[in-house]
Amino acid sequence: MAAKLARVQVVSAYPITPQTPVVENLARYVANGELEAEFVKVESEHSAMSVCLGASATGARTFTATSSQGLMLMSEILYVVSGMRLPVVMANANRSLSAPLSIWNDQQDSLAVRDCGWIQLYCENNQEILDLLLLSFRLAESLSIPAMVCYDGYILSHTSEAVEVPPQEEVDAFLPPYSPDLKLDPDRPLTMGPVGVPEVYMEARYMQHRALMEAKDGFLKVAEEFGRRFGRKYGILEEYRTEGAEVLLLTMGSLAGTAKEAVDICRDRGERVGLVKLLLYRPFPWEELVRALSGAKAVAVLEKDISTGWMGALYIDTAASFVNQARKPLFLNFIVGLGSRDVRVEDLEEVVRITKKVGEEGRVGENPRWLGVKREMVE
Amino acid sequence: MRLPEEELLAPGHRACQGCGEILAIRLILKTLGRRVIVVQPTGCMEVVTTPYPQTSWRVPWIHAAFENAAAVASGVEAALKRLGREGIKVVAIGGDGGTADIGLQALSGMMERGHDILYVCTDNEAYMNCLDPSSLVLTEEGLKKVSEVRVGELLYSFDLQRRTLVARRCSGVFFNGVHDIYEVVTPHHLIRATPNHPFLTLERGGRNRLVWKTLSQLRVGDGVVVLRRIPYGDSYLFGFKQPWAGDPQAAHPGPLRIPERSSPELMKLLGIWLGEGWVRPKKGEVGFALPEGKRGRRELIRLSQKVLGTTPTGEEDYLYLRSHPLARFICSLGLGMRPENKTIPGWVFTLTLREKKALLEGLMLTDGYSRGGSQRFVSTSYELLRRLRLFLQSLGYGVGEIHWMERKGEGRGFRSEGLGHVSFRKKRTPDHTHYPYVNCLEGNEFFEVERIIELRYVGRNQTVDLRVEKDHNFIADGMVVHNTGIQRSGTTPALAWTSTTPVGRIWRGEDKPKKDMPAIALAHHIPYVATASVGYPMDLVGKVKKAAEVKGPSYLHVHCPCPPGWGYDSSLTIRIARLAVETGCWILYEAERGRIRITLKPEKRKPVREYLMIQRRFSHLTEEEVERIQREVDARCKELGLE
Repeated sequence: MAAKLARVQVVSAYPITPQTPVVENLARYVANGELEAEFVKVESEHSAMSVCLGASATGARTFTATSSQGLMLMSEILYVVSGMRLPVVMANANRSLSAPLSIWNDQQDSLAVRDCGWIQLYCENNQEILDLLLLSFRLAESLSIPAMVCYDGYILSHTSEAVEVPPQEEVDAFLPPYSPDLKLDPDRPLTMGPVGVPEVYMEARYMQHRALMEAKDGFLKVAEEFGRRFGRKYGILEEYRTEGAEVLLLTMGSLAGTAKEAVDICRDRGERVGLVKLLLYRPFPWEELVRALSGAKAVAVLEKDISTGWMGALYIDTAASFVNQARKPLFLNFIVGLGSRDVRVEDLEEVVRITKKVGEEGRVGENPRWLGVKREMVE
Repeated sequence: MRLPEEELLAPGHRACQGCGEILAIRLILKTLGRRVIVVQPTGCMEVVTTPYPQTSWRVPWIHAAFENAAAVASGVEAALKRLGREGIKVVAIGGDGGTADIGLQALSGMMERGHDILYVCTDNEAYMNCLDPSSLVLTEEGLKKVSEVRVGELLYSFDLQRRTLVARRCSGVFFNGVHDIYEVVTPHHLIRATPNHPFLTLERGGRNRLVWKTLSQLRVGDGVVVLRRIPYGDSYLFGFKQPWAGDPQAAHPGPLRIPERSSPELMKLLGIWLGEGWVRPKKGEVGFALPEGKRGRRELIRLSQKVLGTTPTGEEDYLYLRSHPLARFICSLGLGMRPENKTIPGWVFTLTLREKKALLEGLMLTDGYSRGGSQRFVSTSYELLRRLRLFLQSLGYGVGEIHWMERKGEGRGFRSEGLGHVSFRKKRTPDHTHYPYVNCLEGNEFFEVERIIELRYVGRNQTVDLRVEKDHNFIADGMVVHNTGIQRSGTTPALAWTSTTPVGRIWRGEDKPKKDMPAIALAHHIPYVATASVGYPMDLVGKVKKAAEVKGPSYLHVHCPCPPGWGYDSSLTIRIARLAVETGCWILYEAERGRIRITLKPEKRKPVREYLMIQRRFSHLTEEEVERIQREVDARCKELGLE
């Protein structure tokens, strides 16, 4: 839907559950003539991303969508696209990684490609998917950095919610047609993707990194304009009932919805609990996180991924943000919901109870904690 | 038919002389003109044409990865269509690996979807090997690390015909990633290289022939060609700025003169410094640990009076020359600063014989000893010992292995702190018990054959390779090595040698026949499929024109001989390309809407032997094997109606 509103010109995708509704709908739009785009029905995700690369380099607005194994197959080309500074926009329906094969939800796939130089945004609900995708096209094209909008497979991808769809004219005003200065054009020949000899490679990477770090300000600017035009304001992170909180939960994606409910229940009981929901994961907004989390005694980082052999990716990044800070809360890492293991409001109340105790006693103990692992199966 | 004069592929690219692929690309671009967008996968042609910030492409060009050129081209074509840009032809030009192996899936997708794209495969029937980056290469400017060599420099090389030392221009430097590295050890030499790196060896059995063998084919006892010595050069002009007369930092205690060029006395002084000296540039101090009574002390005093015009100040254990310019001068020579990284800089290799000998004398005055008939030098710098070894070899000494004791950090064979020594002696006239055959390099002024005494695995490291004009070899760590390698691909023909299908006791080169890519393209029922050869440019041009006019996918497979890979002189590319067609090893045809038509029928087919026997990659074939290939080619020609 967002892709249609954005008037994408070349779409290329290979079907994979749970991304399929996106591809099916886009194919239908193109088939009906509702969307005037080239739909390239490729033989793999690797080629899907390669088609987007070629099309974007030729000056077309491009879009693809994938999930899980498909994202892994694409990963080689993700680096090439960002290194060539092509503003491809992609939707990723978060799904677990094999083995064991799982078509269900967690965020291991997109977090595995966090270093590939793409902007990464995480959505809580379907309205956010639509809005953040529109916003991503504008952001990516203004900065020449590709953007990936991640949303939880099934939980969001296969759930119908009422969504406010902005009128086409307003979207057109927000998102002018894409016309890059540098593109493949026989009238102005140029060479794209040359060999990076040792004398220039490091500079190229440095400039790419600097541009991605600066994309945070770019996001704020675009989000501010988006808010003015459409009335929905997005920040780098959302602080939910954090005033005076002793215990803070930090998470990304649809889990924030459940967490908000848990926070409400705890607040009703008079506990000082709040939630910080991170929208922009790459570039990593460490300063904003330090500001948002410093006041708490203990922070629980809840995430649907594991950097196998260490801890959750979000925890590692958050902890690194605080390492040089004088004032820092205690951090707990909760690995939750892998392969769609249910995370209930009661589970999060338990998380709050544990975190509160840690904050009071000053000792973290086991870290990370795996929430909802069936002890009888693993011991 | 006339071709436009305009060159759309700019000269100055780094392709080998006689490269069939680059020639094919040049012709294709001429035929297509400016209204094209070219997509290339990773490969030789991409590397040689676009080392940033240079490019040879005067048409829009894009490269993304090795396996996806057809998919990227699909994206370009889709975008052009959507953006309403007409009259622009999208051309993907891949090598055989990027087409028939890793890139086959994307190509199949492109053909199946019917994109309006011309896909060209420039087929040189294999992939492209390397040395450890610390390997030392002999250039006209002296000794250099292989990783420091730049395109255009003159490297010492072995002239295969005249069997003598010549200088050849370096035409390419390649950084080839991390690979397994092995050491080849002979009584006087040691080199590190990847298993696929070719060495010049004396054929076993004592026949008087030199053949290239990859490291993986080498066995203990094999004879490899090594350097005996290099020509003696000239004294070296330093170009160091003299201190002005009144510089208060210039000298202590009296005025000091910094020499403009090298001399035997200066080299001896520097030899003593290499052994026992230190420099503190900030303090302006050059010191020597030469206690009273030590051999070098008196000599140093004599030399500094003669060369620098000053007398060192002395203490019981040390001698000092206090001068900022002198300290800067010592630092500028590249001799190393700390005891463990002292070294012999490259320029020393270009000096006169007397100067070189003087440096050695100076060194030996410090940590050198005589043991029996040989001499020994001890140092804490591994690099110094390594370069000293080559230095001694270049003076015609026989040098033993470096004996090195690690103090700590055992690691994976890459040395850190420790102490070691090398022993050396003047070589005697050839000793036939040492190498039992009278070989073709007997009495050669610059080269000789040595027996391999050990081959061992070192570990994994970054690798570098060079390409050298004409004789395609250079001298690394004192051994003659071939420049580039070649690894099999799906289109490598049966029985061909490549570095990954070597010829040994069991293997006879590539064991499978060539993958029939044009037939795979035909199976997609695309409008136009053709084969071509760089040896028949007008046939090629005609087919490019036809393919470009087709609406929809077209596939063109161009046979492109590769001088270093196939092993022939670079002047023979066209002859070999033609022989392939004249013998029926490569058949020129086109297929419009699936109907195959032969476009060039050789009047009388030549025997395949003529094509095979002028290429090194087939030089191992027996009569029976040539017969086998002949039968297979005959059958194929019959099948396509060539007879």
